[in-house]
Amino acid sequence: MQLTPAGRSSSLRARLGAAACLLLAAGMPAIAQAESGATTQIDATALLYGERSRTNVAEPTARITRRFADGQSLSAQFGFDVITGASPSGAAPSGTIHTTTSASGTVTTSPAGQVPLNSFKDSRYAADLEWQKPFLRSFLSTIGGHVSREKDYQSLGANGKLSVDLLQRRTTLTAGGGVNRDRVFPVGGIPVGLSDGSLPAMSSALPKDVSTLMVGLSQVVTRRWLVGLNATRTFERGYLSEPYKVLSVLDGTTGLPAGQRTEKRPSTRERRSLLASSVYHLTDDVLSLSYRHYRDDWQVRSQTFDARYRRELGSERYLEPHLRYYSQSAASFYRSSLVDGAPLPEFATADYRLGALSSVTFGATCGFRLPGRPGEWTVRAEYIRQFGEGHPDTAVGIQRQFDLFPSVDIGSLLIGYSIEF
Amino acid sequence: MSATRPAARPPDATAASLERVEDTFVGRFVAMAGPCEVLVDTDDRASAAALLRVAEREARRIEHKFSRYRPDNLVHRIHHSGGRPVRVDEETALLLDYAATCHEVSDGMFDITSGALRRIWKFDGGERVPSQAQVQEALRHVGWHRVTWKDSTLTLPAGMEIDLGGVGKEYAVDHTAVLLAGQTRDAFLVNFGGDLFASGARRGARPWGVGIDDPERTGQAVLYHIEFARGGLATSGNARRFIRHEGKWLGHILDPKTGWPVEDAPRSVTVLDRTCLEAGSLSTMACLQGPRAREFLEQQGVEFRIV
Repeated sequence: MQLTPAGRSSSLRARLGAAACLLLAAGMPAIAQAESGATTQIDATALLYGERSRTNVAEPTARITRRFADGQSLSAQFGFDVITGASPSGAAPSGTIHTTTSASGTVTTSPAGQVPLNSFKDSRYAADLEWQKPFLRSFLSTIGGHVSREKDYQSLGANGKLSVDLLQRRTTLTAGGGVNRDRVFPVGGIPVGLSDGSLPAMSSALPKDVSTLMVGLSQVVTRRWLVGLNATRTFERGYLSEPYKVLSVLDGTTGLPAGQRTEKRPSTRERRSLLASSVYHLTDDVLSLSYRHYRDDWQVRSQTFDARYRRELGSERYLEPHLRYYSQSAASFYRSSLVDGAPLPEFATADYRLGALSSVTFGATCGFRLPGRPGEWTVRAEYIRQFGEGHPDTAVGIQRQFDLFPSVDIGSLLIGYSIEF
Repeated sequence: MSATRPAARPPDATAASLERVEDTFVGRFVAMAGPCEVLVDTDDRASAAALLRVAEREARRIEHKFSRYRPDNLVHRIHHSGGRPVRVDEETALLLDYAATCHEVSDGMFDITSGALRRIWKFDGGERVPSQAQVQEALRHVGWHRVTWKDSTLTLPAGMEIDLGGVGKEYAVDHTAVLLAGQTRDAFLVNFGGDLFASGARRGARPWGVGIDDPERTGQAVLYHIEFARGGLATSGNARRFIRHEGKWLGHILDPKTGWPVEDAPRSVTVLDRTCLEAGSLSTMACLQGPRAREFLEQQGVEFRIV
């Protein structure tokens, strides 16, 4: 029998009736729960991070977010991390087997041609709290606070921000700020800057204050394309040096170590950064690109390019490869070492993180749900290679033979689980 | 109390009222942008008052949950997701499933993502129509097929909107009726802004009577009178919202495919079906058929009135 229009239409009504029945009947238990309208989300992650022969970090975190029926949300995160390993002390290779002594009580012995490392072990506890509240239809306010503590550092902070949606919600403006009141209390006290270790500690603890201002704009360009621009200014004041880092004092001709001095950095730092980002939705996949430009008054300039491509693999899985390039110039007072007998500069550091360096990151994130089980899993793996200037022009004597900035291989693995109920 | 003494507080327009009309208690309140009524066929005032409270709370809950105009609900979160997937609760998921079914069985005419079109068409009785370029631009943000909806997760491309107001109101009527039926054996009728559901015959086997307004003279003249004991009833149409273009009056029912108002759509379509949801969806789909509305409804085998 040929299908008549009436036959097709009565199937229309049957399908409509079935859908209405499902909505009215099957919705019942859900509605009892939905009465309160509130949901809870729990996110747990475990991060493992390792630099070959250097620092290792294990960091589990847990975040709980409660969303209320009126749109408010309250979120708290607790984290704990353990750092072990070694980090370059700042000292130059000695040309002979070399041992260090440290206020934190650790001793390291380095082979002749290698950058000396300070080994350490520390653990850190951190907690933060955030409260979001929408109001007047288009506004969203967020306030938060955090506290963290480790053996020789404590951080207390508060922040707030306000967003407003404009132009039929195609434009969102955000402005915010934050303050940190941190405290540095190294083992053995705070060393006098650029001292040779003969002076007693100048203090047992010193403050470090940080203020941040941020403005942002996000714009829906087309239904597939979202762009954003964020500008941040940060002001730091207080003890900004690294208490355990040193500079080698080298003989100006041979390059052999004649002693070492503590480092000293200015007591203020003003940072500016600008982040431009773009998120483009293809049919299923998402391409995200961003560029960050950073500069500060220590003359560090940096650029970051970041690209991610999220590929949907069916409804239950996705894979997101990730590529990042980072490059920075050295701080004006960075030097690989000091020369014996030369006048001391006002500030100096040999901390490789303030030297010229670049890094490349290859990574991928995979998200998936297990069939028949609640919640979503995330696994992210990254490989980072960090490069620096191994043979700077300023190297003297025997130092020219050594790689003063050995490339570092870093691996990280993050496993996350998120569930909402 | 002295008659000249000013009222301690201004009268509250949203407060519910309950009055007896003949042998029926009529409870009234304002929600979902319109007047709402609950009629209870009983002599027990306390029971009627209790049902009114349940109905009002449910209407406000659903209004709060699915309104496009609140900054604190899931719809707002979806509209601000920037094209990222948003996981929704089970009730919302079932409502979206229902809307998806409507879209499918109507060959894409019934579409809860037509919001971008509503922004460019102003049915104020004037003559200004949007340019074809504006219509084309708006259409790029319209279409349920552009939305990814699976596994309780909705991905709405940035710039698009969903409107659960229409389906939500009919769902509120049916769902309120489910709640009331769990609390009383008396017959009742729920009417939220003209979308209604009756639970069964009144005492003495009498049906409920519902008048259908003349769209030209809303609230002043009744064109038809429908009597029924049980079922959902809903009316869709162009009443009072028009735009004048090339000598024709175009009503506010928009075709999500062309981006233009449906030509020669009926002024008012009333459908009586098993539930208010089905009645509402069929009356909306009928209006979208334009001049073929009557033929469409005849094929469905439902009771209807077209003006």
